[in-house]
Amino acid sequence: MSEKKKSLFKFGTREVVYSAIGAALYAVLTYATNFMQLPGSGNVAMRPAVVIPMFFGIAFGPIVGFITGFIGNILSDLLSGWGFWFWWDLGNGIMGLIPGLIAVAIIDYKAIKSLLLGEFFVILGAAGGMGVAAISEMWVSGADMTAVIYYNFLPAFLTNIANGLILLPILMVAYAAVAQRSGRQ
Amino acid sequence: MLVTWRYKYRNSIMDRIDPRARWIFSCAFLISCTMFWDARFLIFFFIIAVVWYTFGRTKWKETRRGWLLVSVMLFSMIVINTLITGGGAGGVVPPGGHEVWTQGFTIPWVNWHIHFGLTAERLWFAICQLLRLGGISAIFVLIPYTMDSRSYGATFHGLGMPDRFAYTMELSFRFIPTLAQDSAATLDAQKARGYEIEKVKGGLFRKILRIAPLIVPITMNSIVASEDVANAMDLRCFGQYKRTWLFELKFHWWDIILIIFSALMLIGSAVAAYGFKMGNFWIPESFINMLIG
Repeated sequence: MSEKKKSLFKFGTREVVYSAIGAALYAVLTYATNFMQLPGSGNVAMRPAVVIPMFFGIAFGPIVGFITGFIGNILSDLLSGWGFWFWWDLGNGIMGLIPGLIAVAIIDYKAIKSLLLGEFFVILGAAGGMGVAAISEMWVSGADMTAVIYYNFLPAFLTNIANGLILLPILMVAYAAVAQRSGRQ
Repeated sequence: MLVTWRYKYRNSIMDRIDPRARWIFSCAFLISCTMFWDARFLIFFFIIAVVWYTFGRTKWKETRRGWLLVSVMLFSMIVINTLITGGGAGGVVPPGGHEVWTQGFTIPWVNWHIHFGLTAERLWFAICQLLRLGGISAIFVLIPYTMDSRSYGATFHGLGMPDRFAYTMELSFRFIPTLAQDSAATLDAQKARGYEIEKVKGGLFRKILRIAPLIVPITMNSIVASEDVANAMDLRCFGQYKRTWLFELKFHWWDIILIIFSALMLIGSAVAAYGFKMGNFWIPESFINMLIG
């Protein structure tokens, strides 16, 4: 656990497998929790699984985080039969990529500093990812910035940071225990 | 938990088209269509989308889930954003315009007088949005139902993606059934300990917290299991040589025609939109006359 990680953008065999596992996990958990609706809202589903790309980014780097979110969202849409929406897939990818940028800075996953850093980058990731996805709606649907912020960005951003902020520390602490037990970095 | 792909072989025209050609066409359609707000152009794209959709031979029963999502999206964008608040039209429709129902209207029984300033221009823009978003949706909603899930890795490799990325996609498809099984086993194990995922009581934070006993063990088990997969792949020299794919793709003459059509559609749209400055928002006088009188 004390050894520093080598490269932020490495994409070797392990990263391929982590990305694939992460994407499949994101898809399955999204599919499994599709029934969870936001209290008092119509068709806005809560997605606790958004924490998966964020966590995989922090644990295994930005490329793994990006692919987990990007492919995971494609797969969950394929499973649910919701079609293919590239800009939202890209947004989910960015949501994993941005937290991944601090992967090399986090050595001890259960340290308070690491947890706070992770939480901060979850907010940045959700803002960046959902921002890109929402702004692309301006290009596709011709909506203006105000409409995009209120109808596309805020609902997705707020639910994603709520999920990320609550679940990420739990996953990081659990991963710290797993990493310590197995002797992995 | 039963996780199944939506694809099934339907002996349709879509089943005979190479997935690479389909992706090229779909992306060319998306880019071309988003260059225009003129209904005369959008109707052309909408017709292409409807013809393309019929190639899939899907049944309403199969695709209704996808269309439900699209309907919610279209409702919020067109009815709420454009017609009611006007926000959806702000980026394209110029301010002002010909107001419809200048006197407003009164809702019977409650006697509420509504005057939301709907203009003919916004109403026409809503029709344009319906054509544009409806067309794009028809092209992309079809994908899960008509594209073989075995073909994704080979397709993205064929489209020029790096081998590792394409193989990640292939591998993630293979992990889905295993992880679904693990999720079901974990859920059952947690339920046996009194865990209630379906409990509807509690606020947003309690609901999110309630999901942790499911997400944490599945994620940690998957990470531990992935070590074995990575070691097995390393032992078989993964990434050392050029990859071959089990699912082989082959272009036919009709795929080439589709790719040429896609290229022409894209180039033609770009020339019309940026070269000749065509395709900006336009409203027919007859539509205004019909509404205003």
